[in-house]
Amino acid sequence: MNQKLNNINEMKCQFLDENATYDFLKFLKGRSKVFAPHRKGEASYIYDEVSDVKDVVLQYPRTIQPLKKYFLPPRETLLSFNIDENNFTESEINVEPRIFFGIHAYEMEGVMRLDYTFEQGQPESNYLTRREQSTFIGISYEPDEYHFSKSLGIDIDSVDGFSLYFKKTDNGYYVYEIDAAGQQLMKEFGKGKRVDIPVTKEEPEFTNKIKYHYNRLPQIFEHVYDSKVWEEVAERCVGCGTCNLLCPTCYCFDVRDEVEINATEGKRERFWDGCMLNPFAEVAGNENFREKLSSRTRHRLYRKFKYITNKSGELHCVGCGRCSKYCPADISITKIINNLIDDYADRQQKQVI
Amino acid sequence: MSGQKPKVAFFDFTGCEGCQLNKLNFENELLDLLELVDIVEFREAMDGKADYYDIAFIEGGISTPQCIERIHDIRRRCGVMVALGQCAVSGGINAMKNLHPSEWVQEAVYGEDKYLFPSIPAQPVSAIVNVDYEVRGCPMSAPEYLHVFKSLILGRKPEIKDYAVCVECKLKENECVLDKGMFCLGPITRAGCEAICPSNGQYCTGCRGPVSNINRDGAVDMLKKHGYSTEEALKRMKMFNTNEIDKEIKWGR
Repeated sequence: MNQKLNNINEMKCQFLDENATYDFLKFLKGRSKVFAPHRKGEASYIYDEVSDVKDVVLQYPRTIQPLKKYFLPPRETLLSFNIDENNFTESEINVEPRIFFGIHAYEMEGVMRLDYTFEQGQPESNYLTRREQSTFIGISYEPDEYHFSKSLGIDIDSVDGFSLYFKKTDNGYYVYEIDAAGQQLMKEFGKGKRVDIPVTKEEPEFTNKIKYHYNRLPQIFEHVYDSKVWEEVAERCVGCGTCNLLCPTCYCFDVRDEVEINATEGKRERFWDGCMLNPFAEVAGNENFREKLSSRTRHRLYRKFKYITNKSGELHCVGCGRCSKYCPADISITKIINNLIDDYADRQQKQVI
Repeated sequence: MSGQKPKVAFFDFTGCEGCQLNKLNFENELLDLLELVDIVEFREAMDGKADYYDIAFIEGGISTPQCIERIHDIRRRCGVMVALGQCAVSGGINAMKNLHPSEWVQEAVYGEDKYLFPSIPAQPVSAIVNVDYEVRGCPMSAPEYLHVFKSLILGRKPEIKDYAVCVECKLKENECVLDKGMFCLGPITRAGCEAICPSNGQYCTGCRGPVSNINRDGAVDMLKKHGYSTEEALKRMKMFNTNEIDKEIKWGR
């Protein structure tokens, strides 16, 4: 599970120094719209469309919203309707070629998890249409205290899904051609210097880790449904839903009709929702079938490590660390999982005695 | 409400009337709104009275014996009652006086004439009569008010948001105010304002009241982690929501 086959250590590559990397961005911009990480506010980053390549940040820990915002926008109008005329028009989705530059491995995995989700059953056409004509160019990063994708089988240099992969080295990048599209891009750019045997440093260590191998996690989740850990988390959780909204694999949304002031025309809008929020499990008669924060956190994690995993065979957490980094109450997903593992191990020992 | 235009009235109780004025600021929508309804009573904008109202909008909280009489009278004569703004919804800023002895408050305001002005603890309208819908905020949130208004005209149930301001910040991809080292009540305050303050360099003061499932101890712990003492945290949480936060303290979790 989760283990990827591509290994860039055995691949040839080209070298681009930092200036040439920005030149490459200019070259990309000449071909299509390019989206890349930019600074936001004092110490945050977001993906944004590149207008001046100098504003692109090559090395960054993570963006606020995940890449899903381009395929499943935070808010979108599904259709507009007219009550008097009793008709509606669906919104048109125009696709154009888009290049996403500077993407981390876990982020790419997140997009691939969403692809799985939206291809299941009735395919989600808005998402899948937006997903067409996208090219992804990966980049390496230094893991901070929140990243833990290695614990989930996603290395910094996992290159699945990318066309090109930029690996940071002294004063520049080794560029690996992952697929034919990437090869074509580098050929047309033409400024890469061939490197036959790249001297790469050892992958930096992740300080944030899950105690057990990721293969064991679904099995752990078979046994921790009634763990005391959920209540412990709920004592500190304020239920703001940040963890849901910024998760690269969370896909729940809500739909709402809003009429114009003339009370005749209106729009059907869809927007991100989350299972930590009050209205999520609310049904007619003001009943809420997941009322407590403890059961909501449990549900959130089970969605990542068991429910969908049972169907897809892959963990639906990619270790980006957003839920922990942006949690106002400082709740860490790795601590929850490690506490669950401890609790499970404790109970097993007691059974033996 | 079919056929005739619904009769709508606005009433003010204890508050600054800012929410009522706020409505007159909808310059783009005001004329369209007037197309849909008959406004029969609105002290800030017109003279005139009526016997029955399809929709009564109440601004301001309850803080005198006369308020109680008046709100009962309006309730008897209206179809739908909507509380507008935080004073009407929870007592609002007025409820800060509830933390002090009534005598002391009256003396501080009216001096030796205090016996001429009977006063009771500031309460939400819903403490006295049945309120159908609420529009929160100080001042009330304009988009939410328009949503409630339009929904009632169409005979739909308005959808009132019961999740945190954080959600609206995250949808807008704002940088987290707490991460910037500022104070913020966004994680426990009800959304519906489109996160207007955090989107404009301010922090959330909690003017829309806490989410219905507030984890008060968790919220205090959260603010402590960001460098605020328990007292400071509670003081700020109570500013707009003394009644709601105090209830949590007295009744426990």
